[in-house]
Order: sequence, then structure tokens, then C-alpha cells
Amino acid sequence: MDPECSQLLPALCAVLADPRQPVADDTCLEKLLDWFKTITKAGSSLLLLQENPCLVELLCHVLKPQDLSSRVLSFSLRLAGVFAAQEDCFQYLQGELLPRLFGEPGPLGGAAWTAPSVRSGWIQGLRSLAQHPSALHFLADCGAVDTIFSLQGDSSLFVASAAGQLLVHILGLSMQGLAEGHPSLQAGDWPVCAQKIVGHIEESLHSTAVPQITQALNVLTTTFGHCHDPWTQVLWVRLSPLVGSLLEKDPVPAAHSLVDLLLSVARSPGLSSSSCGLWETLAQTLNHLSPTQAGPLALGILKLQDCPQVLRAQAFVILLQPLACVLKATGQDPGPSDVLDSATGDSLTVDALLSSKAACVGLLCRTLAHLELLQPLPQRPCPWPQEPLLGAAVTLLQLCRGSASPASDVGRHLCALLLGCVRVQRAALDFLGTLSQETGPWKGRVGSFFMSVSGPQELVTEVFAVLLEYLRSPDSSPTVLKKAFQATFRWLLSSPKTPGCCDLEPHALLVLRELLPVLQKRLCSPCWEVRDSGLEFLTQMTRHWGGQAGFRHALLASEVPKLTEQLLRDPESYVRASAVTVMGQLSSQGLHVTPVSPEHPGGQQKSLLVELLHILSTDSEGFPRRAVMQVFTQWLRDHHADVAGDTEQFMARVLQVASQDLDWEVRAQGLELALVFLEQTLGQFHSHCPYAVTPPVAAPAGPLAQALQPLCRVRLFEFAFRALFDCDRPVAQKSCDLLLFLRAKTASSSGSLQESRSGPDVASVEAALQRWQAGDQGQPLGDLEPEVVLAVLRSVDLEGLRGALAEGSDHMEKSPQSLLQDMLATVGVLGENEADCY
Amino acid sequence: MPEIRVTPLGAGQDVGRSCILVSIAGKNVMLDCGMHMGFNDDRRFPDFSYITRNGRLTDFLDCVIISHFHLDHCGALPYFSEMVGYDGPIYMTHPTQAICPILLEDYRKIAVDKKGEANFFTSQMIKDCMKKVVAVHLHQTVQVDDELEIKAYYAGHVLGAAMFQIKVGSESVVYTGDYNMTPDRHLGAAWIDKCRPNLLITESTYATTIRDSKRCRERDFLKKVHEAVERGGKVLIPVFALGRAQELCILLETFWERMNLKAPIYFSTGLTEKANHYYKLFITWTNQKIRKTFVQRNMFEFKHIKAFDRAFADNPGPMVVFATPGMLHAGQSLQIFRKWAGNEKNMVIMPGYCVQGTVGHKILSGQRKLEMEGRQVLEVKMQVEYMSFSAHADAKGIMQLVGQAEPESVLLVHGEAKKMEFLKQKIEQEFRVNCYMPANGETVTLPTSPSIPVGISLGLLKREMAQGLLPDAKKPRLLHGTLIMKDSNFRLVSSEQALKELGLAEHQLRFTCRVHLHDPRKEQETAMRVYSHLKSVLKDHCVQHLPDGSVTVESILIQAAAHSEDPGTKVLLVSWTYQDEELGSYLTSLLKKGLPQASS
Repeated sequence: MDPECSQLLPALCAVLADPRQPVADDTCLEKLLDWFKTITKAGSSLLLLQENPCLVELLCHVLKPQDLSSRVLSFSLRLAGVFAAQEDCFQYLQGELLPRLFGEPGPLGGAAWTAPSVRSGWIQGLRSLAQHPSALHFLADCGAVDTIFSLQGDSSLFVASAAGQLLVHILGLSMQGLAEGHPSLQAGDWPVCAQKIVGHIEESLHSTAVPQITQALNVLTTTFGHCHDPWTQVLWVRLSPLVGSLLEKDPVPAAHSLVDLLLSVARSPGLSSSSCGLWETLAQTLNHLSPTQAGPLALGILKLQDCPQVLRAQAFVILLQPLACVLKATGQDPGPSDVLDSATGDSLTVDALLSSKAACVGLLCRTLAHLELLQPLPQRPCPWPQEPLLGAAVTLLQLCRGSASPASDVGRHLCALLLGCVRVQRAALDFLGTLSQETGPWKGRVGSFFMSVSGPQELVTEVFAVLLEYLRSPDSSPTVLKKAFQATFRWLLSSPKTPGCCDLEPHALLVLRELLPVLQKRLCSPCWEVRDSGLEFLTQMTRHWGGQAGFRHALLASEVPKLTEQLLRDPESYVRASAVTVMGQLSSQGLHVTPVSPEHPGGQQKSLLVELLHILSTDSEGFPRRAVMQVFTQWLRDHHADVAGDTEQFMARVLQVASQDLDWEVRAQGLELALVFLEQTLGQFHSHCPYAVTPPVAAPAGPLAQALQPLCRVRLFEFAFRALFDCDRPVAQKSCDLLLFLRAKTASSSGSLQESRSGPDVASVEAALQRWQAGDQGQPLGDLEPEVVLAVLRSVDLEGLRGALAEGSDHMEKSPQSLLQDMLATVGVLGENEADCY
Repeated sequence: MPEIRVTPLGAGQDVGRSCILVSIAGKNVMLDCGMHMGFNDDRRFPDFSYITRNGRLTDFLDCVIISHFHLDHCGALPYFSEMVGYDGPIYMTHPTQAICPILLEDYRKIAVDKKGEANFFTSQMIKDCMKKVVAVHLHQTVQVDDELEIKAYYAGHVLGAAMFQIKVGSESVVYTGDYNMTPDRHLGAAWIDKCRPNLLITESTYATTIRDSKRCRERDFLKKVHEAVERGGKVLIPVFALGRAQELCILLETFWERMNLKAPIYFSTGLTEKANHYYKLFITWTNQKIRKTFVQRNMFEFKHIKAFDRAFADNPGPMVVFATPGMLHAGQSLQIFRKWAGNEKNMVIMPGYCVQGTVGHKILSGQRKLEMEGRQVLEVKMQVEYMSFSAHADAKGIMQLVGQAEPESVLLVHGEAKKMEFLKQKIEQEFRVNCYMPANGETVTLPTSPSIPVGISLGLLKREMAQGLLPDAKKPRLLHGTLIMKDSNFRLVSSEQALKELGLAEHQLRFTCRVHLHDPRKEQETAMRVYSHLKSVLKDHCVQHLPDGSVTVESILIQAAAHSEDPGTKVLLVSWTYQDEELGSYLTSLLKKGLPQASS
């Protein structure tokens, strides 16, 4: 601890111990504790207490009967725990203090215990303290373990959860000594704390009270999840019959926790290989649970790396059951897949699906989400029933729209339940999108779908048909439309490509032709979310197929580019920003066509540049301006024709506007643009031939000065130098990086330049830098000469500045000394503002 | 037993990070999703792991409702929806949806400024999150699904702030968010109808305070600014992008106009246009005066307040500058503060609370020598003033709202434990309702007795009316029929109709009972005695003595038999149909008392 803090600490402890002095800000104590944790991690706690006796005094003081705030009491308990984590310090405090803080005579028996923060502090204190064998004896002796048992059922979620975690920790700690060998099954041979905890778990598993069973299962789940020592195997062997007996009850109690436990055991390498009938238990559980409860277990089983094939098959059948029911109810053949066929007959699932709308929607959404998670995994079941799954997703979407006309009663009932259900629509669209990412044997077959006329091609046609139906429908909500756009893009992306050509396949092009009028309509939607999703979709498509003839032709034949341009003036800034991005991309791809007007004789692209510059200079919102800067940076990188025509003029204009921008991200992107320009300019200077391997030789001064001239002419340096002291740290950091890059590039030519006579000299630039650092703005510097720039680059301590900027803008305010000062300063000045948040 | 459960993950006995989970009739709703300005790590957000352990978030939660755009109510939303993985609906009012991104960007900027982009939501995430929002109008009932509906009420506080009623069937909860029961310069007072919710969850920031008139505070503020400007000083007012800043702008603009003052007023980061835009767009959300004067002149098109340029800070002479961020965390407000701090003629006015770890907090707690980078010390000579302009209901206002809504129970959030305790007692005494104040993580469970509407068939009603008994809401009475539960509907119909509707055959069920009577006479004589007794007692009923010796009263059949073991005792077998259950049990109790002696 530094001396300044040491000096402030006694006063602070005195304030904390004084019940008349309320603590100002509830974050202060948390931060104070963070600081003590850092100190004790780095050094001896004992020494800390000996050097700062005020700390022990504080701990003693809080035990006195007084009206102390529960926050301070909680803090003190946690602090004591942090100190006592080191064994020597534990011994130092053990005599009287620790038993009084954590035992019956302490807050445990007092009125303060009613405050959840005190109970939480008590648990967290013990959690920190329990690090060594002495702590275990202490826990056993002071009866803490029994209290922890009861706190598992605390009214506060935080306390109850922490109590469970603490039991896991204590169990692990007490068994640590046995970790080397194989402990015996006999509980009598186990350490006292472990015996107690395991005994409690056994008792809880025997209980008829569901909360108690849940607590026991949760403790076991965490234990097996975190610790894989041999003793956990012994524990599982001992407890598995009890866990198994839960399955005999109807309904199975605490099913959710039971599933978590079984999966945790199955994931543990030591436990899953042990011979205590885990796979049988899992199979039995799958059978006993309701379809809703069994879903997560089935997914968990299918995600396991090593698991018997029979069990996997059983789990997959369970997972597929709801969708199989949907297919069957709508009179569709689940297909040739055995798995789906065997999944159809479960009446429980049908009952669950039809019992109520909420149950039906819940079960279907969960199933779709589980299958979506499973689909991309390498260990997913093989063969993967792609066709029936696609069929089910499409059917669900049709049921939700009312466009399916099932013949059976169950089908009609399903239709009535799902009609207009946005939740199922969203889940089904997500799943449908995922199904497009098919790899493996199916992928090869997808190609043939487009070309053949039978079976699966129809299915893919149906996929696009249902997607178009959703995109067209006036009833689709904005979130559903967004997902429909995303799914459509994924399906278009997955359509097969002719080798050597990345254009869209003819069928996909047909889809595209149908899609563009829909997109056109959506770009005119009164809902900004829809317009924006449409533009994002267009951006994705242009990025992928902008260079392909088929796509270009279809797009240019539509009204979409024209509408997009109109959206540059949309009332919603998010939409303007998306329109800027699309227009930038369309222009890059030569897809932005407007007739050459007399006002812009330079051609159509000039007018877009002017329009974007106008947005950059005048738009009142940051998002469109940021988007313009991104477009410009991309254009510069790509040597966009318009920019390449007169790059210097372009750069000068853009940098001038960007440097004045009020949005920090626009200024930061201005520096990014400057960096690209700098790289391009100096790149030319360094290697004329991009393929030439040139050894690092000192660059001659003349060409360097020449190379820097364009940078000076566009006033890049004044922008960068000013930005070094920008009030927003990320901008200053970016500028610092840029100048360091430049200095590294030009380092080899140092000393060989002469200062020029015109323009500001080095001294005046340095003076300006000092003024800017002090926060003054002053007049523009005027044209800088390359020689002056290089000299200034050498004289400014850029590394030092970078170090300071890396600290974070609040590093002074968040220092421990500052924290202590703040806490002391607030004493006595707490007034109306103490809880006056916003 | 149906119940409502409420668990605050934030704002339980504290202020900041509002996030309250409500479970009502099987639906789970999250009320607000705020952040805590005082932390820079994970602790700034509510601990969502307590929800994620219930399975997939989108499956567990039916919706998220955001009461208003302040960061302690919406700051964690993009994190929750784009990083934690909630993909369900989010409800807020139109102004809140429009203004939220500005505040979130403001917050993102501060966070990135401090720590860089690490583990923080991006601008794209803010947009994606906003696109999931379903914007609602005031007093519009929105169906989240078939069962869950929500409705927004005006809350004052800030532009677009709303209280929400959450209703499932006949059970309902009202969440106030932050509200203000007195109108201010630009907003009206909160209002709710007598909706009698099962539970009212109300903020309690000023649980023990009766606030002085806002006019006094405004006068004070203007006086201080005026004095500073008159002596040639510069006044810095650090503010958050939108909200209180606009209120203060109106105040200064009007004052400048009235006093014909010339000193410039600047508003940084181009927010005047933005404020203009939003207040114009949502003019119906402002107070009546603004709406009225809007016809002549838009109050938010300021004549005296101009956009700030960084170079202006160096200009000589007095000026007033509104700059962001509001707690002097970083950025422009801090830069101007550093520049002006050394001059005692200047003044900084903090119009809101500042968390520890900011320069704003330091100067408010009276620190005048601030350590800056490189061991430099900044001496604060400028005048430091604190003026609270936060628009929360005071104790009186909270009581007023409870009186308006007439809830069955009240739950306090967004306040300090000690103050809540006081208000809780007051509410319990005055309104005779239970009042709760759970800490974060604590669950309050309220049993409810839902009223389930049951439709009565016309046939059954007609039959009742034929008996001359007209339905009367004030006199509840027993009605016999068959309850049919079908398609989530309950209907009471006559048993005949039920049989017909359900296609069932009738089975007659008779209740039977044995009554032992001490009577040595023969069975027929005992039956005769029973007949005579009942005939004398039940004058309104048809009592018959049948040839086989049994006695009937309506559908009730009584037969006498000898006792198998005791010849001095007779057993009366009494049986009746369910329609005559009342009479049957009455008869049984009558017979159990024995037969009158006189006839023996």
C-alpha cells in the first residue's frame, strides 16, 4: 500500500465505524474491497494488518451493538474473509475476531441478519476465508456449515445461490487432501465437513420437498462441473442410486435441475466412463420426462462426444417428436428417415402440443432452437433428416400464416393455435436460415435440387415461396421481416454455383427477380425498422453478387437503386446511414446509375460524392456521417474512380470536414482515412514495384519530402497533431498510432532534411501543440512543410503520450487514493443529492 | 395457488440499474433493463445469470418493458438483447425508442473512452436492439400474446416516460418507472386511472422528502447563472444529451429574453437540433403550455442558444455552455472544466447526481485540489453549485398515485432502504394495504385470488327466473348447474344441456346415509312415526308414505330396517339425489336428533 493511502486509511476506518456517517455511494465499498483484494493478492495480509492496525479496529468495532449500516457490516464480513484467506493472517484473527464475526455471537444471531446484504456478506466472507485446512476446522467448529445449509433456501436469490456455491467450494476443499488416492465409499473415512455436506445432500434427495431436492441437485451439478478429481467418482457412485430413485416419482421432482446434473455427470470424463449405469439413467430419464422437459436433455445428450449410439438415437427421436407431429398432422410424409418416422407416434407430445397455445408455442420454439444449435455441430446425428426438417419449418411458417390447409383435426387445431404467432414465426425463420448452411452429403444434393425436377427441388422452391410470402405479407411484423430477409439471404448464398463462376444460379436468379419488387415495396415501408432491414439485405446481396452479371442486370432493371438513393434523405438517421452504406457499395460496383445532369457535368458518380459530402457536412445525426466516412475510406482503399481522379482534393475536403465533426467516431474515422492515404502515398514512395524485394536502406531525403508533400497539402498533419490532444481518448489514440506509424516509416531518413523557409517553423508548431494540449484551440497552422513535420515528429514524445492514453480517461479518478479521498470528502456533505439519480 | 412474484435484480432498496422481474399468471416480464454508472466492469449490468439458469431467455421471458430513456432504466438493454441473447419483444413508448439510441451512444462513448471497446456493445448492436422494439402509444392496450396485455400511462419525469399496466386475465401489476406528480416547464404530471391492480410497483427516490417548489429552485438557478455572467464569468453546465438539459435551456432562453441579456449560451455536440427534432416530433408528450404556445412559436427553437464550437471556450467574456457528459466523466465537459476551473469568476452548475470516480463527484464533495495526469494538480477556484432538477415524485406525490390507482398491495423500488421503511409504514397506515420493499435478489410472493368469469346458459337463467328469483349483483346466491370447461372458457349450464352438449348418458347418483334410532317397535311403525314427524315439520314439502312402507320427501327416500345386532334399534336408510342435497342433509340432521317423544 502506498504511503498516501496508508495515511488516509485510519480516517476512513473511523468514518466507516461511525454509524452517524452514512456511506455516500454504494459502489464505494465494493471498490474499496476490490482494492483490498488486489493488495492481499500481491502481498502479505498479516503485514498489512500489522502496519495498519485501524483495519482490525474496524473489524472489532462493527461487532459492538450499535445502529451500524448493514452495508458496512456486510463489507466488514467480506473484508475479514479476504484477510483470513491467508493462513497466517487467519491464525492472527482467529483468536476472538473470526468466531465473533462468523459464529453465533456475531451478526448471525442479531437483528442485522434480517438484511440480505449482511447474509450475503457473511457467505462471501466465508467463501474468501475457506482456502486452507485451518479454515475447514473453523467452519466445522463454529457451526457455519449448518447455517449455510439453511441459507440455501434463503428468500434472496443471491444469498441462496452463493450458499450453494460455498457448499461446493467447502466440499472440494475438504476433499482436496484425498484427491491423490481413491477415497473409500464409507462416509466415515471422509473429512468432517465433507461428511456433513454429503449427509445433507443425501437427506435432501430423500426429502419430498422439491426446493430441497433442487438445492441438492444444484450443488452436485456444480461440483461435478468444476471438479474432476477421483473422489467425485466415489461420490457419484454413492449418490447415483438416490438420484435414480427420483425418476420413480411421478411427476419427476426438480426435473430441470435433474437434467442439468445428469448432463454435468455425462460431460465429466471420469464419471461418464464409470460403471454406474449413467447411460441407463439417461435413457430412463428421457422416457420419464414430459416432452418440454426432455428437450434440453436430448440436446445435451446429442452434444456429448462419447455416448452410446442407442441413447443418441433415442434422444434424437425425442428432440424431433414435436416437428414429426406437425408433419403428421398436416398430412405430410415424414420422409424416408427412420428417425422421424419413429418419432411420430408419441401421444404425449401431441397432447403437449395441443393442450394450450402457450404450451404449443413454447414446445415448438424450444425444439426449433435446439435443432438450430445442433445443426452446425460435427457430432450431430447422421444421417441428418434435412428434407423433413425443411418440410417441418416450411409447414410451421405456413401454419402461422394460415396458408396451410391441413386435413386432419390435429392439423386444424394446430393451425388455430399457431395462426399469427410471431414467436413461432421468428424461431422457424431462424431455423430455416440455419438449414441453408447444410454441409456434408446433403450439400451435394442441394445442387441437384435446382437442376432436377422432382422431390427436393420442390422443397427448395417451397422454401423460397414461403420466404417470399412472408416478405410480401402486410401482416409480417418488422422483427419477422428482418429474420425473413436474413433467411432469404442465407438461402440465396447457399444456392449452388457453377464451377469457376460465382454468379447466382438460374433458379436463384428467378427468385431474385421476384424478390426485388418485394424489396422495392419494403424500402417504402412506413416503418423505419423495415426500410433499414431492407437496406441491410441489399448491402449483403451487393457485397456478394455486385460483380455478377445476372445480379447486376436484375438490380438495374428494378427501381431499387433509385429508391435507395431517395433514402439518403430519410427522416430516420439509422435508415440514412444504411442508405449511405448501400449507395457507397453500389457506386463501387458501378451499379449507381443516374442520368448525367447539367448541374453535374462530371458524371453520375460525382453527384453521389457531392451528396455524401453534403451529408457529412450537414447531417444532424452521427450515424449517417459515420457511414459516409466508412464509404470514403473504402473508396480510397479500392481506388474508386471518383476518388482516384483527384485524390488530394478529395482528401483535403473530407479531412477538413471530418476534423471539425462533433462526433468522436467521425473524427476517429477521419484519422483512419488519413492512415489509408498515408499508406498509399508512402507505399508508392518506398517501393515503386510491388513485387520488388527491397532491402531496408536509408531513404534519400529528397523523395521523402516529395512523398510527404501531398500529405501536407491535404492538411493531414494539422488534423493529426490537433487530434493528439482530442478530448475523446479514442481519437487521440488513433492519431498517436498514425503518427508513430509515420515516424517508423520515415525514421531511416532522419537528419537529412533541411527546414524550409516558408510556412510555420518547428518552434511555432511545437508551441501550437502545447496550446492544444492546454485545451486552447487557436488559429489554423497553415501549410506545413514536410521537413517541419518530420522534425516535430521526432521532438514529440509520442510513446509517452501513447502510454498515457492507454491508461484510460478515468485512471486518476479510479485510483485507490482518489477513492479514499472521495469517501472521506463526502462525509458530512451528503444532502439532497445522495439518491438523486438522473 | 395463483400468485404474483416480484424479484428485483436491480433497484431493490437502491437507485441505479433498475431491473425487476415479475411473474404473473405464468407470464414472466422484465421491467426495465438499466445499468449502474458507478461501475466499469460487469457489475454495471444486472446479473442476468439468475434468469439464464431457467433455460433459454427468449423462452423464459415473455417480454421486456422499458419505462423511459434514462440509462439506469435502459442502459443494459443492448447488452441483454445482443450479447446475453434475449430475442423476444421489447416494449417502450415512441419517444423512448427514438431517444434511447442517443443516450446509449453517449454511454458507449464514455465506456469506450475509459476502457476501449472490450466487452461492450457496438453501435450496430444498439441499432439491432432498437429494431426489436415494439413502440406503444399512451392508453393503447397492446396484446403481447393471447393472455398478456400491457398499457402505458403518462409518467411525466422525462419525454416519453411511461408507467405500465401488465395484465393477465383479471390479475394485474402496475409499474411506475420514474414519475413526477407535478408538471414542470416542459412536461405534464403523471396520471393513472383507478385500475385497482393487484400490485403497484412504485419508485421511491424521494420517499421521505416533500420537495420545495420547483419555482424556487429555478429562481435560484437563474440567479446564480445571472450573477456569474454579470461579473464576467463563464458558466459550465454538464448535462446528459437529452432530458434535463432541454428543461434548463427553456428556462435560460426565457430568462435571457426577459432580461435582454447578451452573453452567449452554447449547447455542445449539436444537440440543440436533435432536441428540437424530438420535442417537435413528440409535442403531444409535453405539457399543455408548450403545446399551446407551439402554435405561435416552438419553445425548443431557441433564439439565444447556439451550437458550441470548441474554439469558443477561449473567447473572452461571459458565456454559458451546456456540455456532455453530465458527471464530468471525460470528453468535452471535462475539457472545458479544466480550462475554466482556475478562475474564481467562473461557475460550474451540476444539475444532477454524480457517481464516485468522476470529477463531478469530487467537486461536489468539496474537493478543490484535483490530481491530474503526471502529478499535476488542478486547483478548482471556480464556484461549484449543485442544483437538483431531477423530476421524481416526492412522498406526497407517491401517496397521491397510490390513492389514484387503489392497488391491493404496493411494492417499493428505486430508493434507499431507510427512506423506504418510512414510506412503507405510511402507506400501510393510510391505505390499509400491504407494502413490500424487497432487496435485490429477494422475491416477494403475493397470493392472488383470480376471479374467473363464468358464462351462464340462457336456459339455466330462464329456469332460475321462472322460480321468481331475479339475478341481483348485491345478493350472491347458490346456483346449481354443470360447469363446462372448454377452449379456456367456463360455462354453467343445466345438467340436461350438458349431457346433450357432451353427448353423455345420464347416470343417477344418490347420496345415502344411515341414521340409527332407538325404537323397539316394528319397522313399519317406525316408518309411520318418521312420516308423521316430517309431515309436521316440513309443511312446504311434499311428504309421502308409500305403500311399501318407505317415506319420501321430494326425491329423498327413507326406509326403516331392523338392526342386525340390536333389536331395540332401527336403522333409517336415507338417500337423495344431488339436486336435493341441501334438503337431504337437513333431513338427516333432523332425524339424527331423534323422533319426538309425544308420539311414542
